[in-house]
Amino acid sequence: MKTLDANKLSDLAAALAAAGYRVVAPLKDGAEVRMKEWAPGAAIDIGPVPVNSIKEFLFPRTEVVAKFSLEGNDFKPEPFETPAPKTAILAVRPCDASAMAALDKVFNWEYKDDPWNARRAATTLVSLVCTAADEDCFCTSVGGAPDATAGADAILRPADGGKKLILESLGAKGEALVAAAGAVVAEGRAKADSPAQVPVRFDAKAVAEWCAGNFESPLWREVSLGCLGCGACAYCCPTCHCFDIQDEATRTESVRLRNWDTCGLGLFTLHASGHNPRPDQASRWRQRVMHKFSYFVEKFGILACTGCGRCGRICPGGMAIAQVCKEIDEARKAVAK
Amino acid sequence: MTVATYQTAMMKIVTARDEAPDVRTFRLQFADEPDRARFFEKYRVGMFGLYGVPGAGESTFCVASPPTRTEYIECTFRKTGRVTAALRDRELGQAITFRGPYGNSFPIETWKGRNILFIAGGIALPPMRSVIWNVLDRRKEFGDVTILYGARTVADLVYKDELAEWGGREDVRLVTTVDPGGETADWKGQIGFVPTVLEQTAPASANTLAVVCGPPIMIKFTLPVLTKLGFGPKDVYTTLENRMKCGVGQCGRCNVGSVYVCRDGPVFTLDQIKHMPTTDM
Amino acid sequence: MEMIATLRADAAKLLSEGRAKLVIGYQARGMHRAPLFVSDPAKVDRLVYDEACKQNLAVYLRKPEVRVKGPAAIVAPPAVMRSLMVLASETQLAEATVLAVDTNAYHGVLDLAGVAALLKEKYADLAPPKELFDELAKLNAMSPEERARFWTGQFAKCTRCYACRAACPGCYCLRCIVEKNVPQWVSTAAAQHGNYEWHVIRAFHQAGRCTLCGACEAACPQGIPLMLLNLTISEEIAKRFGEKAGYDPAAKPVVGSWKPGDDEEFIR
Repeated sequence: MKTLDANKLSDLAAALAAAGYRVVAPLKDGAEVRMKEWAPGAAIDIGPVPVNSIKEFLFPRTEVVAKFSLEGNDFKPEPFETPAPKTAILAVRPCDASAMAALDKVFNWEYKDDPWNARRAATTLVSLVCTAADEDCFCTSVGGAPDATAGADAILRPADGGKKLILESLGAKGEALVAAAGAVVAEGRAKADSPAQVPVRFDAKAVAEWCAGNFESPLWREVSLGCLGCGACAYCCPTCHCFDIQDEATRTESVRLRNWDTCGLGLFTLHASGHNPRPDQASRWRQRVMHKFSYFVEKFGILACTGCGRCGRICPGGMAIAQVCKEIDEARKAVAK
Repeated sequence: MTVATYQTAMMKIVTARDEAPDVRTFRLQFADEPDRARFFEKYRVGMFGLYGVPGAGESTFCVASPPTRTEYIECTFRKTGRVTAALRDRELGQAITFRGPYGNSFPIETWKGRNILFIAGGIALPPMRSVIWNVLDRRKEFGDVTILYGARTVADLVYKDELAEWGGREDVRLVTTVDPGGETADWKGQIGFVPTVLEQTAPASANTLAVVCGPPIMIKFTLPVLTKLGFGPKDVYTTLENRMKCGVGQCGRCNVGSVYVCRDGPVFTLDQIKHMPTTDM
Repeated sequence: MEMIATLRADAAKLLSEGRAKLVIGYQARGMHRAPLFVSDPAKVDRLVYDEACKQNLAVYLRKPEVRVKGPAAIVAPPAVMRSLMVLASETQLAEATVLAVDTNAYHGVLDLAGVAALLKEKYADLAPPKELFDELAKLNAMSPEERARFWTGQFAKCTRCYACRAACPGCYCLRCIVEKNVPQWVSTAAAQHGNYEWHVIRAFHQAGRCTLCGACEAACPQGIPLMLLNLTISEEIAKRFGEKAGYDPAAKPVVGSWKPGDDEEFIR
């Protein structure tokens, strides 16, 4: 098996960078850890779950989807760059890697999204098995696991009490990456550490069933009281993908942008007539939960939540989706008694 | 590179006509023949497009002309905000961007031999107009054609010339109405809300399908009347409008339940809508 | 823990006597603190208060789904109390029932006048921690180019989630400036030019109104040091106008009113 010392991840990053990869890794950022583009000297930290997902490296916060040159009242389409550099993302949590399936579906179910597909093709995901979980993690409640390999091209398994990492390729891209790692990774023996224990927090299927029969329930207003209608949860979420199309222009050129957007904001569904199908935070929260646990399953066959727990970690209003699902599960059980 | 999904065709404005205060109809021609050919290969009645002005943005309107007329497309829109204002400012001969056709269509082939009841309100006549002309352009294939159209006031009625044309035809029954208080001194049509006039007109439901387009409030009160008149949920068609941006089933804005209005719609039967979580339409 | 027991008892009493239909406070969920909305007197034991409670609960007083529940009592540490003063001075709040608390003491149930008096008596010298002032000094010692690079780098992290806006009791516009598109004042793309504009505009819109409660920085998922920005402006306001926001429920807006002794020459 291929192994490396756990404190040699920077060497791995350097080797991959030398082989032409743009390297993204969990980096120390003040008191937190963020998935960021690695540069020599950056400190990699695989302890805490990174505050952000890897979404932004495949689906940027803002990107050009059309461009025009302007001359008076006339315009002409212009070509533009959609960068899709060869990328290696190291130490991706299994909850983030498994989110790829949901986004692949959205961006390919009928119309094929060129930028998404180009970046997917150019990116090698190297997962990291979680040997620790916190109170916000809930991958096991949504069909995931701390050592799941879905979406990953290779996987790093902490071993020998965290001192070593076993690097295992899961396919062609993984093979290429392992080869590029060169001497940083050596043949050796190590005993993989146990993955974290992540208790199941709620019954996702039962929650979806309850939702289907309780669209008008007053519980939606109660569980969403803490929500202040920002986009923090949607933007840190590995599966949230809603976006806005906006034009921006100077006198001589205009761009059509695709920007991250969220159903949590009041304007998301507002009609030009002034009518808003989701006029309050309660209906918007109902949409959030049902989209991820019910509608997405109905349309694409999989959940649009991977249990990463980020929403719970960052929301100032206490609106962890796991918490809301727990409350629904409890309400359901209370009625069933 | 270009991103295929957002690539636009260039359309020249060949005519512009004001229908009502703030409501304008454009007749547009594709600047490039391959774009035109590609469009008409796919276009079926009911589909929509995204019309845009670079720098201002894109807006979603149905294609208001039928697929039986392949030299141009038409759209009718009301000026309500940034993009529609920019569109309205475009002059004859100037260009706008277009991408489409998107969405599903009315299954007009299955309507052959049947009677058709068209019900529309206000600015919702445009999506209906393409179907009406599609049917009228192939008149012999269909049974009785009844059109019930109402607006808030006489000034708000769109396609006034065409209304007169439809009304003058022997093979069309036209009923027009304005809301109480919306009539002018010389108004010769009905006075009353569309659902009320529908109930009074009481068209027969036997072998008839209904196509309904209008603001949410009109739909809400019209559908029960249709049920009362004996129309089954599979025989009532409507278009769901929702805020749209990408038009291709990805951005999530137009989601209603597991349905993307831009892909699985905008045309739905009442039967389909009954199973969607629309608290109001 | 005696003070929290008294707070809980008072909350229960307010509810059972019908003086409030809802108590807005804090609860603990493991390591997290989250807002708590209690309408049942039997459930007040979930109320907590400690220094981990960083949210400014005053934001909930304007949330429609909360308001519809009826008159609310609010658990308020000094930061929240000061926000209530600002909201009152801007006619956003006519009255309030406040359970005044800090990490060391519980001051009982007060109305707005009582809060004003308490703030003057016990919390007149509230200020952010010294570390923040040290950071600001370091920032101010930089050349303008260095400082611009610092802020550009920080704002590059912004995803335009608007958690800062949502968490701030002073941000209550029904339609925020970024939500207007005729004209599009601020780019909505999470990119340099728009991000910079957004944060500077928001900081300026809070000028003279910001109580430095820190809820915005606590809410930011990207770790942007918003307090440094707010302190920069707050210090400028203090220097030019000698005012500190959040003490006087009848205060006039600092940058919206004029006094003869004001700095500007052009208006003389």
